[in-house]
Amino acid sequence: MTTEALAPPRKMRSGEVAVLLLLPIALINAIGFILPVLNLARFSFNKVSIGGGIENVFTWENWLGLLADRFYLELIFNSVWISLAITLTTLILSYPIALYLHRSSGPWRTFLTVLVISPLLTSAVVRTYGWIAILIDDGPVVSAIRALGLPAPSLMFNIKGVFIGLTEILMPYMILALMAGFGRLDPRVEEAARTLGATPARTFRKVILPLTLPGIALGCLLCFVLAVSSFITPKLMGGGRVFLLATEIYDQAIVTLNWPLASTLSILVLIVFGAALWAYSAVLRRLD
Amino acid sequence: MPVSQSLEEHLKLDGISISFGPVNVIPSLDLSVRKGEMVAFLGPSGCGKTTTLRMIAGLISPSSGRITVGGRDITRLPIHDRDMGMVFQSYALFPHMDVTRNVQFGLQMRNVSKQDIERRSKEALELVQLGHLAQRKPKELSGGQQQRVALARALVIQPSILLLDEPLSNLDAKLRDEMRLQIRALQQQSGITAVFVTHDQVEALSMCDRVVVMRNGRIEQFGTPTEIYERPATAFVANFVGRTNRLKGKVGSDGQLVAAGQPLRATTKLSPGPVDVLIRPHRIALQPSSGPATTGDGNVVEGKVSSIIFIGDLVQYVVRAGDEEIVVEEATRRERAPLGVGDNVHLRWSADDTLVYPDDGK
Ligand SMILES: Nc1ncnc2c1ncn2[C@@H]1O[C@H](COP(=O)(O)OP(=O)(O)OP(=O)(O)O)[C@@H](O)[C@H]1O
Ligand SMILES: [Mg+2]
Repeated sequence: MTTEALAPPRKMRSGEVAVLLLLPIALINAIGFILPVLNLARFSFNKVSIGGGIENVFTWENWLGLLADRFYLELIFNSVWISLAITLTTLILSYPIALYLHRSSGPWRTFLTVLVISPLLTSAVVRTYGWIAILIDDGPVVSAIRALGLPAPSLMFNIKGVFIGLTEILMPYMILALMAGFGRLDPRVEEAARTLGATPARTFRKVILPLTLPGIALGCLLCFVLAVSSFITPKLMGGGRVFLLATEIYDQAIVTLNWPLASTLSILVLIVFGAALWAYSAVLRRLD
Repeated sequence: MPVSQSLEEHLKLDGISISFGPVNVIPSLDLSVRKGEMVAFLGPSGCGKTTTLRMIAGLISPSSGRITVGGRDITRLPIHDRDMGMVFQSYALFPHMDVTRNVQFGLQMRNVSKQDIERRSKEALELVQLGHLAQRKPKELSGGQQQRVALARALVIQPSILLLDEPLSNLDAKLRDEMRLQIRALQQQSGITAVFVTHDQVEALSMCDRVVVMRNGRIEQFGTPTEIYERPATAFVANFVGRTNRLKGKVGSDGQLVAAGQPLRATTKLSPGPVDVLIRPHRIALQPSSGPATTGDGNVVEGKVSSIIFIGDLVQYVVRAGDEEIVVEEATRRERAPLGVGDNVHLRWSADDTLVYPDDGK
């Protein structure tokens, strides 16, 4: 008996379906992201000519120069450090809000969620100018501090201003990421801990915190990446006195017209992101 | 007989009530549980069993009323100071801890010494027959296994009050029987006062010292299993606990009860009006109508067998009598020639077994 004749028409295996479905986005990514990045990587080994043109030669000059220059080493170190500090501050300020939102329900929750998301509806430029108006030397905050008879700090056009502005701008992202990661937090589980004799503080440490770690990791990754790559806020609020990776890339690319150096710095930022992603997946692996 | 059970009042609910939004889920509840006693909460889904348990544990505060334990008012006491072990209906295991660490959690919170934690958690896991799965995470366990971890976690802390929200609902019949015996033995040995929520009347009647039958947030009856079964306070209780035949009846102005087209005798005091007459299927004796029709002081009703259902150790006869169908259950035995469909029969039951309630309109 021949079984071939009876066999149903060949079905696509799930692997083939997946490849088909992924193909469009893979193409778009290849053209819109991978190729430009490769091009950027190539620039970083090119040389800049006197007039700002690019000499198509292979050289390690940019990379070696970068690693030998104290200014750039400090720039990298500062950028990473400040971004980490901003991420941590954002986390501390956002966590209670996200937890409260996670626990609330009904129209109240919808209202608060809209409130949290609404800053994202205004551009970061507008919000940055808002912060400048608030924090500037004779603005309301500094005047209020002065009125209290305290020594008034200078909050604008320095790193403090950048810190405050970025933290506020990143908070909605952090809150949303935290809430997305709070899925495992079941109120019954908290209650179980309480009936077993755990005080609210111990319940937080032993149950709530471990169960929300995935959300924390996600939020921190997101905010760190956004902080390192943020340009508008440090540029405007730093008043040209705060040097970070993103602002420096801008200056090199647009002002100095040194594209090879700008490319080298950009690839460096990508390496920093790669490290952040690696740390994130390491945390997630440990959780599982 | 439970050794540790005394008449001393332990857990007391004093007019507690709660509303969720506009819905008054528990209007006002009074209950007094003795020390070392195991009380069952029995009632249909949504009647407020879990809600009451949660108020006792302190997970929600009653809108009004008082909860006392051993005379001490705990209505406002924080949850973690109440020393109550709770088994949640949804288990509520810690997903990030393995089975052992789940069971040890309560002991760690009580600052028990390391050795004791090891020993007691091991014992508790042996008790629920899960020693071999100690390293698993909750998500790697079946529903029944998770339920047993939840049970071990609540038992291991030897709380002064144990609150069990359908702790055996997900186990197979055999395991459930074993767990019942073990929970009961443990509860009696250590004299823990326990509240046991269940849908299962067999569980309630067989395991517990007393049973609370609840309906719509109210207590219909609170009594020993025998009282609940033999002298149900309302038609609802009679219907909910055990199987019953329900006949529409009437009490005339002369006090005579009539149902299934016949005058019946009952021992309850009757006031005139429409009534429900309830008779348990196995309290009715069935005889071929050719036999002697002695009335005695019981009830005799004539009918015709309309169907027979064989269940193994029981046979159910559905008998048509007047315009009612009455189910009769008999243990299967061999000595009598089996009745057949269409046979004329006499149904016989005593006046004591005739439960009469005013018609509640349902
Ligand atoms: N948080 C809440 N918000 C609003 N209504 C609630 C809430 N909790 C319980 N209810 C309502 O209160 C009633 C009693 O609920 P409860 O959970 O106590 O029932 P139950 O007797 O435990 O039922 P089951 O046997 O199905 O578990 C239900 O009608 C339920 O819908
Ligand atoms: Mg329930």
